[in-house]
Amino acid sequence: MTPAPRRPFLQRLGDRAEPWLYSAPALIVITAVMLVPLVVGISYAFRDVQILNPFSGGFVGLDHFRALAGDKAFRVALVNTFWWTVLTVLIQLLFGLILALLLDTPFRGRGIAQALVFLPWAVPTFLTGLNWAWLFNPTIGPLPHWLHALGLLAEPSNILSDPNLALWGPITAAVWWGIPFFAITLLAALQSIPSDLYEAAAIDGANPFQRFWSITLPFLAPVIAITVLLRTVWVANFTDLIIVMTGGGPADRTQTVASYIFTQAFKRLDFGYASAISLVLLFLLLAYALLILLLRQRLIDRDK
Amino acid sequence: MATIDIRSVSKAYGGHAPVLTDIDLSIRDGEFIVLVGPSGCGKSTLLRMIAGLEAISAGTIAIGGRVVNDLAPKARDIAMVFQSYALYPHMTVAENMTYSLRLKKTPRATVAEKLEAASRKLGLDAFLARKPKALSGGQRQRVAMGRAIVRAPKAFLFDEPLSNLDARLREQMRAEIRKLHAGLGATSIYVTHDQVEAMTLADRIVAMHGGIIQQVGSPLDLYDRPANLFVAGFIGSPGMNFLPGRWDAGARAVRLSDDSALPVERAIDLPDGSAVTVGVRPEHVGLGGDGGLAAAVDLVEPTGHGIILHLRLQDQPFKALTTDRRYLTPQESVRVTMPADRLHLFDGNGDRIA
Repeated sequence: MTPAPRRPFLQRLGDRAEPWLYSAPALIVITAVMLVPLVVGISYAFRDVQILNPFSGGFVGLDHFRALAGDKAFRVALVNTFWWTVLTVLIQLLFGLILALLLDTPFRGRGIAQALVFLPWAVPTFLTGLNWAWLFNPTIGPLPHWLHALGLLAEPSNILSDPNLALWGPITAAVWWGIPFFAITLLAALQSIPSDLYEAAAIDGANPFQRFWSITLPFLAPVIAITVLLRTVWVANFTDLIIVMTGGGPADRTQTVASYIFTQAFKRLDFGYASAISLVLLFLLLAYALLILLLRQRLIDRDK
Repeated sequence: MATIDIRSVSKAYGGHAPVLTDIDLSIRDGEFIVLVGPSGCGKSTLLRMIAGLEAISAGTIAIGGRVVNDLAPKARDIAMVFQSYALYPHMTVAENMTYSLRLKKTPRATVAEKLEAASRKLGLDAFLARKPKALSGGQRQRVAMGRAIVRAPKAFLFDEPLSNLDARLREQMRAEIRKLHAGLGATSIYVTHDQVEAMTLADRIVAMHGGIIQQVGSPLDLYDRPANLFVAGFIGSPGMNFLPGRWDAGARAVRLSDDSALPVERAIDLPDGSAVTVGVRPEHVGLGGDGGLAAAVDLVEPTGHGIILHLRLQDQPFKALTTDRRYLTPQESVRVTMPADRLHLFDGNGDRIA
């Protein structure tokens, strides 16, 4: 056996480079539009970037993070983010599930109802925010008067300016806006449950509540897990309603981490500090996503 | 265990043609009844009405002497095996089988005892901790039966339970269901479109067509004395041959379209010249010999234990079943004889004559 003669260098180089050349356009686009901004954004967190200060831009190391550790507004925002996200997602899930169950039972005009339910989703969030801000405004909106009549408010005032209640304003708007998403995904999952399971359970002696508990819920669980995961990340990052309705006020009582980033970047024009906060939020959400994925994997393994 | 009495039961969905018309059926305690018919004949609807999954439009259904029209399924004390098995996918085999008992808050020791008895009977001991999706089709079928057995209900309802299994497994499960019934002695109603299942399983077969009961009787009753053309054609495989003809009262014979005469031995009271249909089963057709009618051979189908000859007799499709391997070699035509005592006669309405 004689060793195969070595092919010319250029040919070997061509062979090596071929797959890279084919994928180059896609790689270049991904690098240009995704990786470069990401790296630049992360680099801001370690630099002093203030739009109105022409002498800024220098490397400051971990200064931003040190400042963040002592920033009381940030800690308030962190707590607010927790309540804002948990309450919004859970109430959306609850009402979305109820709505999906209602839409799953046949009635006249169900097709139209299903289409109408989707409507809030189609309203721009900016409009949603304005609309709800007006609804909560006692001079033009009916809600404070109704809440007062129900005895829930001592007087028909604007809850958006009440430090103890303000967060409920954006939460209400976010719930209204986000219910359709849960309703539609859960409805799709509900409709995939074979009806003979319910019949078998009815014959086995299960009442409607037991049927819901032992058939509907286990079937919905994986869908609920994945939608809750998606919505949590989404809602935690969702600032439109807060910016439009309260701007983070009164006295930072509705400031979430995401809206705090917005405030730091576009009101105080301190991009460096805003990037540092963003980085922290990114790591928090990554940790959360990892936790949920592990949990999900365990659920799937248990099901095998 | 109980009797089931179905009195003048009808089912109609508002504005549409009735699905079931005036069904009357008395099922004895411990009897194995098979409802058979083509799809859309109403057999599953009838079963679901007995189970309480469909409302009864008219008439009454009584289980063990008690009218159950307005009772919820769970109050009827029946168990049902579904075509899809309808096993709860997130529960283990043991949980599936004991779900009904646990709902009734049965003491744990009793549940374990009943589960053990049922799983031993069905050979499921090794699979109790598994989820349904880790089981084969036949095992899932067994779990579905086990779920019914543990409850010791008044009646078992089976809705085409074997149609999702392959042919060999179906044969095996058929025998097991029969053995199980012999052991439990529970009243059973079994729905199928497969006439072989009906023949092999039933104490009595209820043949249905177009929402109407066509005939009720033992399997051999239906085979030997089908009440009308539908039952004659539905029971038996390959299906019965039919030839149109006219009754010749003088010759006491049926004249076929070519005027050849088929003598009939039985006493028949029909006006001369009335239209009749002659039926003969492929397995009763005689081949060869000198007499008989000439038939052209279209196709030869060997099945292993026999040969199905597809013939054309007086321009009608006609089948003959034989075990004589001579007919494997293609021939252009054969002589066909039909023994007088094996002929079935149907009048112009398709009803059996004598």
